[in-house]
Amino acid sequence: MVNMRAIKKISNYWLCQFCGWGMVALSIFFFAYTFRQEISWEYILKILIIVTAGISSTHLLRLFIKRNNWLLLPFEKVFVRLGIAVVLTSILFSLMVMGLNEAAQLADNNRQNLDFTTRLLANILDKGIFIVPWVLFYYFYHYLEKGRRQQVDTLKLEALVKELELKTIKSHINPHFIFNALNSIRALIDENPGRARNAITELSNILRSSMQAEKLETVPFEKELNIVKDYLALEHIRFEDRLRIEYSIDDDTLDQPVPPMMLQTLVENAIKHGIGRQVTGGVVKVISDFKDNFHELIVQNSGKPSGEDNPDGFGLSSTRNRLHLLFGDKANFEIWQNGGLVEAKVLIPTANK
Amino acid sequence: MIRAIIIDDERLARNELKKLLSEFPEIEVIAEAANSSEGIEKIENLNPELIFLDIQMPGKTGFDMLAEMDRAPNVIFTTAYDEYALKAFEVNALDYLLKPVEPKRLADAIQKLHLQEERDSQSGTTMNFNRSILAEADQVFVKDGERCWFVKLSDIRLFESVGNYAKVYFGINKPLILKSLNSLEERLDEKIFFRANRKHIVNLRLIDKIEPYFNGGLLLDMKGGEKIEVSRRQTVKFKEMMSL
Repeated sequence: MVNMRAIKKISNYWLCQFCGWGMVALSIFFFAYTFRQEISWEYILKILIIVTAGISSTHLLRLFIKRNNWLLLPFEKVFVRLGIAVVLTSILFSLMVMGLNEAAQLADNNRQNLDFTTRLLANILDKGIFIVPWVLFYYFYHYLEKGRRQQVDTLKLEALVKELELKTIKSHINPHFIFNALNSIRALIDENPGRARNAITELSNILRSSMQAEKLETVPFEKELNIVKDYLALEHIRFEDRLRIEYSIDDDTLDQPVPPMMLQTLVENAIKHGIGRQVTGGVVKVISDFKDNFHELIVQNSGKPSGEDNPDGFGLSSTRNRLHLLFGDKANFEIWQNGGLVEAKVLIPTANK
Repeated sequence: MIRAIIIDDERLARNELKKLLSEFPEIEVIAEAANSSEGIEKIENLNPELIFLDIQMPGKTGFDMLAEMDRAPNVIFTTAYDEYALKAFEVNALDYLLKPVEPKRLADAIQKLHLQEERDSQSGTTMNFNRSILAEADQVFVKDGERCWFVKLSDIRLFESVGNYAKVYFGINKPLILKSLNSLEERLDEKIFFRANRKHIVNLRLIDKIEPYFNGGLLLDMKGGEKIEVSRRQTVKFKEMMSL
């Protein structure tokens, strides 16, 4: 990929070189055509010589600029050096033109009778006019290019950060839950083998989906709901009659896209803070329906957070972050408590099929 | 026979542990508790030699429960995944077990318990939960914020009164516990722990030097470098005790 890019760069450079000098040739040609009207083969040869010398001398300048990394220098530092380089390139350019003219035995028309130094000086002023815009153009191009590349890099970096953030958030499944579930299942093997078998299926489903969740941005709500049902079934084994579960699901919301493992995180939170802390246990209720143009997901649990409970724990801040990364400002998440009830509510813009 | 109580909020977890313990005839599970308050009640009524204690429970955690008790029994913690809690925990709990419990790990933990019993019986200090006065060999559980310690009373140099709390000095640590100096004084063995003044109770075995002080008082240099003044009234008592 790096190679491809380099090749493309080179061809861009040569394209500009040929176009630029082609323009120069054409303008000289037209100038002559309009004012002198006598275009001999000699004259065309002269133009060719100018173009060849121009391309060669500026190419040498470019090699020099690249070798000394002038493009990376700050403007104040490069300014004087560039002035000198422009003068030197103009001299080189002029010498080449004069030499080639000599070789082709072409007359330097009206400067014929002047001595060498004067002719050279005249040529330098003449040809320097081409070198200055060349350098300006070269720098301007690279300046733009640098800005563009920086922008691309920033965007790529942002995308990478976003991806990593989503990954870390999604792969978060509470190990405490897994080991407690395994412990309950081991006890169930003797007490209720059938229930133990089901529990293993439920646990596998949760583990599988938490692994797949890393690859997906959203899943149909139905899939997420099934995971939550498995999860709550397992927690019910653990908490027994201390945990009561209620669902209120609008069937039309089942195919709405939701971030994977998000509802699960909220339910896990409800269990951890609402049920796990209460000696007598409580209720967890999952609600899903449409409200205006939003898919509304609510997790309610009984019990009120004690003073030391931080309502902005990892689960909640990660939910907020995920929604923001996926939907920007269009989604909303809030949590509040009302009497003996804690309610977490997510609003996701509805997807129209 | 070691009489044990299992404290865990999950019935299935308690059953599972009971089943594993049935392989060890020397352990007799005499009771179970589903939360901390039940736990304290049963420990106080039944005086078990050992408790298996879950850390995360509704209401109070296992750590909170221990911190509330005057004297910490032998504890084996059981937890599903409490990396952080266990790290915070400046060990010498007997042991901890991760659920689901590996039978081999349980055997090791019980082996450790036997070793400890042997050591205790050799040094002539047996745990007796019927005494209301704490003995030197008794351990207390100290919890200060996120950190926890099991401390033998004989390792505590000094109790210092700080408002409603008491600062406990041992090793390089000085955590706060929610107990008044007066209530501590009632429970501590007065042959070992001496009320030097209104603010301090010192461990007589851990005094480095005794110097005379103003007004006929004394200044005690503790082994940890603390200097404690003995009030004039207590100096008389102190001299009496030391001359015995």
